[in-house]
Amino acid sequence: MSEQTQIASQMRELVAKTLQRGQKGFDYVRSGSAPVGLTPKETIYDRGTLQLYHYLPTADEVYRIPLIIVMATTNKGFLFDLMPGQSMVEYLLRLGFDVYMIDWDPPSMGEKGLGLSDYTQDFLPNCIEKVQQDAGVADVNILGYCQGGVLSLIYAATHTDGPLKNLVCLTTPVDSHQMGLFRLWANEEFMDLDNMVETLGIIPADFITNSFEMLRPAQKLAGQMRLWDQLWNDDFVKSYRAFQRWGDETLPLPGQYHKDCTKELMWKNNLFKGELLQNGKVADLNNIKIPLMAVMAEHDHIAPYGSTKPLLGLVGSTDKNELVLKGGHVSLIAGPNATKRMWPKVSDWLEERSV
Amino acid sequence: MGCIFALELVKRREWEKKVADNKQTPPADFSELVTEWERNINEYSNQLMGTPEFAKSMNQFQNMQMAFQKSFSVTMAQQLANFNMPSRDDIVAISEQLTEIEQRLAHIENALAKTNVGMERPAPERKRPARTKKPPTKQKAKAE
Repeated sequence: MSEQTQIASQMRELVAKTLQRGQKGFDYVRSGSAPVGLTPKETIYDRGTLQLYHYLPTADEVYRIPLIIVMATTNKGFLFDLMPGQSMVEYLLRLGFDVYMIDWDPPSMGEKGLGLSDYTQDFLPNCIEKVQQDAGVADVNILGYCQGGVLSLIYAATHTDGPLKNLVCLTTPVDSHQMGLFRLWANEEFMDLDNMVETLGIIPADFITNSFEMLRPAQKLAGQMRLWDQLWNDDFVKSYRAFQRWGDETLPLPGQYHKDCTKELMWKNNLFKGELLQNGKVADLNNIKIPLMAVMAEHDHIAPYGSTKPLLGLVGSTDKNELVLKGGHVSLIAGPNATKRMWPKVSDWLEERSV
Repeated sequence: MGCIFALELVKRREWEKKVADNKQTPPADFSELVTEWERNINEYSNQLMGTPEFAKSMNQFQNMQMAFQKSFSVTMAQQLANFNMPSRDDIVAISEQLTEIEQRLAHIENALAKTNVGMERPAPERKRPARTKKPPTKQKAKAE
């Protein structure tokens, strides 16, 4: 190709992209929030801030043990079901898993007193019971994400003879003293946690979002710059909108729960030390003997690798696997890398253990 | 608009020449430049914010904000009471009571629907797939 032809083709490409940017930028501004969580499901249990979904199976035959996804308490569970083709739930259903999800709604002021033990000793056992009834099977497997993984670990450590057969923890921080800036900012010397919880009752979503954004201050603006550059690309825009909606729908937290997590997990690091008390029971991770898989992201800025890595050394399981993948806290779950890397590895591990 | 295209093309040609001359791999496109910029800003900000002094000031500001919010809400509640008007807390309490009543009504409706099963045609039970699936490797081994 001659130099002139090359320049002409580059010029054409630039003009086309610029025109498309203009047209699609207008569509983007006009459009409402992105449709997410489209995989058909039924809410089988609804209890204030807690929602338990059952995704309708798509396979003719399913694995015996149902899988419960426990979502992080700060965000909506549709991260696992962003859109068709970018949905871990859809992928698992296709492989023949019977999938349930514990998801969260914004807590009401009446729920401000819910503590960590309400989640681990009441909500989780309660949901497992509902799944057992719905599925007609005694055993369950759990896949916990981030703080959902922490809740699942505490549940597993305090219900050692319970129905839980296998546990997958995705980006689950266990050593809070390795949580970098979060740990530094939540310094007990400077933070008046009791006063904050007493004043607010419910910790606002903005507070949570700002804390996340402060870890990567340029991320939002860089995202908008990438969006401008890629406005001509429908797939990019669709995915951006879905992720943006997920980020925008960060959840507030009950004050007491925030206080318990900060004091017990962040300040005292009691989960790591094996000294966390939940309704009189010690949540020692060494009590966990069931098969466990820990999935970590190398570039996780929310639950840094250092805080997630110690998990396998702390549990008492003999059948345990560690999977360290490239990517960040969110891209590990959804996005092109997740579909190629995390989903197949986790499903392979679970398939063997779901019969 | 034409100037912008011309400038972009010139920049691209210069960059292509630079690559050819140096045999290096500079940022290939805008997206990589943004990533590089983002990384630098984040690193710099994290250094700034990763000090005990920053944590102290941030928490002091937050504590001050809480104290202000607390005293303001108390004063506001008193003022509203003087005007015989409900405060935000009162409205929230009423709205939560309403939500609770709605939930109870929904439960009653469900219970009633169940008792009326004989009168109405029941919805067909959704057929559930059998829980007999085996992992692909085991199926393969069995087939062999």
